[in-house]
Amino acid sequence: MATWLPAAASRQAEGVDGPFQGLYVAAAFAVAFAAGLALAYVMLFRRRDESARGAPAGRPHPLYLGLWTLLAAGLAVYALVAGFPGFLDQTVPPYGAYPVGVTARNDGFDFTYPGGHVADTLHVAVGKPVQLTMTSEDVIHGLSVPAMRVHQAILPGRQATAWFEATLADTFDLRSNIHGGEGAALRTALVSHQPADFDEWLRRVSDIFTGRTLAEAGELLYNREGCKACHTTDGTRLVGPSFKDVYGFEFPTRDGKTVLVDDAYIKESILTPNVSVVAGYEPVMTPYEGKLGDKEIEAITAWLKTLSSKGGAAEEAEPEAEGDPAAGDGQEDK
Amino acid sequence: MSDRTANSPLGGYLSAAVPGGWFATRDHKRIGLMFAAWTTGALLLGLMFGILPMVRSLGGMEDDAGGVLRALTYQRLILVFMFLAPAIPAVLGHFLLPLQLGARNLALPVFSLWSLRLYAAGLVLALASVLAGGVSFGWTMPTPLSLTGDGVFWLLAAGLACSGFSWFLVGVNIIVTVHHHRAPGLGFFRMPLLSWSLYLGAYLLVMSGLILAIIVLYLAGARGTGRGLFGPDADPLLWLNYFWFATRPVVFFALVPAAGVVFDVVAGIGRKAVTGYRMVVGSMIALLALSVVTWGVHLSGYGQAPHLTFVFSVLSLLGAVPVALIAYSLLATLHRGAIACSAPTTFTVAFVLHAGIAAVMGLFLASPALGAYLNTTMFATAQIDYVMWGGVLGAFLAGLHFWWPKMTGRPVNHPVGRFGAFLYLIGVNLAFFPQVIQGVGGAPVDVGALEPGPTGLTEIAALGWLFLVSGLIVAIGNLVGSLWVKEAAGDNPWGACTLEWTTASPPPVDNFAVRPAGGDPYGT
Repeated sequence: MATWLPAAASRQAEGVDGPFQGLYVAAAFAVAFAAGLALAYVMLFRRRDESARGAPAGRPHPLYLGLWTLLAAGLAVYALVAGFPGFLDQTVPPYGAYPVGVTARNDGFDFTYPGGHVADTLHVAVGKPVQLTMTSEDVIHGLSVPAMRVHQAILPGRQATAWFEATLADTFDLRSNIHGGEGAALRTALVSHQPADFDEWLRRVSDIFTGRTLAEAGELLYNREGCKACHTTDGTRLVGPSFKDVYGFEFPTRDGKTVLVDDAYIKESILTPNVSVVAGYEPVMTPYEGKLGDKEIEAITAWLKTLSSKGGAAEEAEPEAEGDPAAGDGQEDK
Repeated sequence: MSDRTANSPLGGYLSAAVPGGWFATRDHKRIGLMFAAWTTGALLLGLMFGILPMVRSLGGMEDDAGGVLRALTYQRLILVFMFLAPAIPAVLGHFLLPLQLGARNLALPVFSLWSLRLYAAGLVLALASVLAGGVSFGWTMPTPLSLTGDGVFWLLAAGLACSGFSWFLVGVNIIVTVHHHRAPGLGFFRMPLLSWSLYLGAYLLVMSGLILAIIVLYLAGARGTGRGLFGPDADPLLWLNYFWFATRPVVFFALVPAAGVVFDVVAGIGRKAVTGYRMVVGSMIALLALSVVTWGVHLSGYGQAPHLTFVFSVLSLLGAVPVALIAYSLLATLHRGAIACSAPTTFTVAFVLHAGIAAVMGLFLASPALGAYLNTTMFATAQIDYVMWGGVLGAFLAGLHFWWPKMTGRPVNHPVGRFGAFLYLIGVNLAFFPQVIQGVGGAPVDVGALEPGPTGLTEIAALGWLFLVSGLIVAIGNLVGSLWVKEAAGDNPWGACTLEWTTASPPPVDNFAVRPAGGDPYGT
């Protein structure tokens, strides 16, 4: 009955709940009627005399048969028609829905926000449609939020979409409803905020320095800004030199000079990387002028120090104090 | 073996010394009985794997999620492919079809023997794969999980392929027998409805059996070599489409013969002709035809194009009409019968209730918006459980109790049988209705038993399993125990009119002393 469905918390829930309630009542009646009739006949027409035979063969009663068939057909038509608006609603996301990217993996979900922030829980604003564009990195997973009436499979090599509009600010169960093998752990939460709280949350978590040391923020930038495509941290040479043991060391450049890798050289190499290039490498790096600010470069420098045997003492600064512990779950970048 | 049975007091085909004894026999009756033993084995295995997750969720087992996943995987694979699909055609079909048609044997006795051997090999291989560690990727074996998941898959694949080929042999055998071995005067529209339903379902046994065997072998090949139709580069929806194309009809070609069984049982216990005989045949044809074009209802919510989902919805909702016609005819046949108060009667009422629940659950799953919500929840799991444990098993037990006097020549103790049927009826509903509730609440499909259910529901379901198992023990124990009864059942204890009741119980090796002539199926 109504209570079996989780409390509805999205605008499109009524497209599911309406036909469910209607069908439930009709189906319960139909089954009770048919099984009840069978039971009644078995008792009413039980053999009273061992030699008794049943009534001679009859033909179906046209009126009863017609009514019976019409009712069954009506039930099917109701299932189709009542379910159709909700189906359209599920299928077509509204124009201008807030886009969130979803990547499913055996060890969890990544939710990517338009600003580039990646979280392992899904945060949304009440009253604002959210469109999820989803793909899987390994096997078939799913994204299921029963309270929102959203159930969608996520396939590797394909893009799946789903959307919903939360109507309640609360925390809901979000998980995969499709078996992803032993050890698959796709279970997290959907946090829906009031719009102002959502903006505040996004602003706060998008600030990568909150809750991190400078070096940790630097490592996050290394992963997020694409540095790792060309620079390793273990001494292996790719397109660019590895970051292991660079800070504090001296290197010959392509034009025959020698540079000491210090804060100033790192800043120059990020913003205008092709001015003084270490010998043996091509000047092919994209300049980050205008993309990274001073604080970010400072963070990367702090992180490079931790990778170098000449980097000096690693930063011991405590992470900046956090305001809302409940938001901490969304901070982990991958 | 044949030496020992020669001394048994049961008589008929059971005691006669026939070429091949039991294990190389080509006698359809002996093969039917052996199929009964093997499918009961499959059912017991399925029960065992079904109970394990229950025990765990009640805290009676250490926390072993992998073990539960394997149990859930095998429970479904063994029950669907080795019980649900073959039970009625292989057991009742083998035993009764030639008797109902007035024939001496099935048309292709070699096929009979090899279908049994392949079936047994399939079950043994599946069991061997459990002992070799088992696989845990779920009974739908979706790629790419089934390509990379741990476990010895080739043993299981070989077992499922054997099963599939066994269905194929059973199906071909039934079709050829119906075409060539009907008694003189027994036209198509004079066949009892069990024969009709077996004949119609046989076409899908042939189709699904072959497809299943071949795709499973392809999957094992892709797993071994990393290439091929279902290899890692393939679209994962490809496997699911093939799988459901082969598996969707299973529910129907299991339920249609189940309905056939129930019609003959009702005509027998009520001593009354079936009302609307041709309408039932037509509805069976319609249902089976629809089952071939509705596999996509299982893929709603899987990234299937929305217009396809809608078309599949419409097609499967069309099934409501033939189901209603069959239900009407069944109830009209009960109406004003002289219904014996017997074990098959109780199982018949259970069948009507369970098949009815399974059918209306189909309406929910085929309704466009609801299907997308419910298809990946335990609601879908529960529907298949209602089909298997409720519909097919209920009809199978009704038929077994009904034809047991014919099969063994011994009467069934009806009060005990009815007690078993009551326990079974209560058990099925207590065990599986909580799954419906959990599914509506959003618990995941197939592996929902891994999660703690809402308070109390798991306990109710566990109690249901207890009832279900007790009911089966009482019913099967009662049937087996009847073999020690000294009194004979009589050739026609029901006063039924189909041809199998015109010969001795148990029938002689050649079935009929004089070839019978076919007339109206229910002797009006």
